[in-house]
Parts: sequence; structure tokens; C-alpha cells
Amino acid sequence: MGLADELLDDAEPLAQKGISEKRPSCMRRAVSTAYYSIFHLLVEDFVSNWPFLDQRARLARMFDHSKMRNAAFTPVDKNNLTPTEKALDGVRRAFGELQKDRHKADYEVSWIIVETDVKRAVTLARDTFVQWRSIRTEDVARNYLLSMFGANR
Amino acid sequence: MYAPLALSKRAEIDAALQRVEQRLRPDVVRIRYEIGEYWTGEPAIFIRVLLTDDAAKHRLREVANRAVWDLARELDFDALGVFPYHEFRSESEQATLQEPAWV
Repeated sequence: MGLADELLDDAEPLAQKGISEKRPSCMRRAVSTAYYSIFHLLVEDFVSNWPFLDQRARLARMFDHSKMRNAAFTPVDKNNLTPTEKALDGVRRAFGELQKDRHKADYEVSWIIVETDVKRAVTLARDTFVQWRSIRTEDVARNYLLSMFGANR
Repeated sequence: MYAPLALSKRAEIDAALQRVEQRLRPDVVRIRYEIGEYWTGEPAIFIRVLLTDDAAKHRLREVANRAVWDLARELDFDALGVFPYHEFRSESEQATLQEPAWV
């Protein structure tokens, strides 16, 4: 099991503990962990295709959160997305949403986090794992991942 | 921040959100939004979806996903120049927090 899967598994009990004990610190950690599970899911996928094992960690550190959020996605026909494009658009939106939530969870001390925030973040992350893994070998998904790394189209 | 097209399209956004709100009743109580900036300064639309307690507790995944997709079908956020951020909350949570942005 990779780091991404472990983080996703960790998010669930953090969420449950936070909700049942009404403990905002755990709820915030759950949201943050849900985001990082998706971040590492995508990064791991990219670097696992790099042939030089000793360079993979360095390559992974080159990923930039902002560039990843703003990665280009240009469907062939934006009014009629293919199933793969639809799934990829879901991944793109989920990544942006979870990144925003992670920022609030980690930095906005005035944010009053509620149960629905936490449940939504964790289920969104779990759904995104499924979506990404269903399309990860498709050309459009591999190109998107390259854009997330910072490549221009 | 440059002014996103969304700022001049409020009437269309209002109408679209109303349509989604109606389609998703009774699970969705109301939808509110605000056009602003992401913490990086990029233009964003923050969409707040208030759910019934029953929907939030038992059907959050389904209702939230449907709301997100319906909103994306109704509004071309890329063309409007904003990235959409959706937030969900139950009626009882809002009753406790009393945040004006959700009213």
C-alpha cells in the first residue's frame, strides 16, 4: 500500500474521532489528510513511471500545489464530454476543492468546521481515488498529469 | 485580480442556481454564492449549498455530487472566469452557526 492509500485510510478514523468527540483538531486533520491523499495519489502515479528509482523522491518534491490546481484541461468538445473527460474533470474539480479545504483546515483558525465539511472532504477524496484509477492510463489523463507537473500544452 | 466575467453575469448565475435548487428539492433547501478570490488571489465563486438534515446525514455523497454536476452543467465556470468551490452544510448546523452568508 502506497502513501496515498494510507493517508486516505487515516482520514476516515480522524474524521470519525473528530465528529464523535466534537474535536475540531481531528476534523481539520481529516480534511487536510484527505487532500494530501489525493496529492500523493497523483504524484505517486507520475513518479512511478520515472525509470530512475533514486530520483523519484526528488521528482516528487518538484510538484507545486498551485500548478497542479491550475493544470490545463481542454476537452475535445466541452459541451459533450467523453466518459473519460467527465471523470477527469471530476478529478480536477475535486483536487481544487480539497486544496481549498486543506488551506482552510490548516490556516484559517476562525473557521468553524462542521460534520458535513469533514464527511464531504473524505467522501470526495475516496470518490476521486476511484475516478482517477479508472482513467489513469488514458492519454487525456496522462497529459493532464504532465500539465500538473508544470508542462505547457 | 482581474474582474471575472461572472461579476457581470449575476442574473444568469442567479437563474441557474435557482433551477438547480428546484431540481434538487427537497434535499437542497437553498443555494447561495459569492464571487471573490481564492487565497492566492485567483477569481473564484464560492457556492454554499444548504441541505436538509436528512440529506446531509444519509445522502451526502449522492446529493453533493449531483449538485456539483448540475451546477457545472448549468454554468460554464471556465468561461465565467472563476473556479467553483462548493460548500455543504445541514440546516441544524446552520441553525447553530447562524452565518449570514448561508441565509
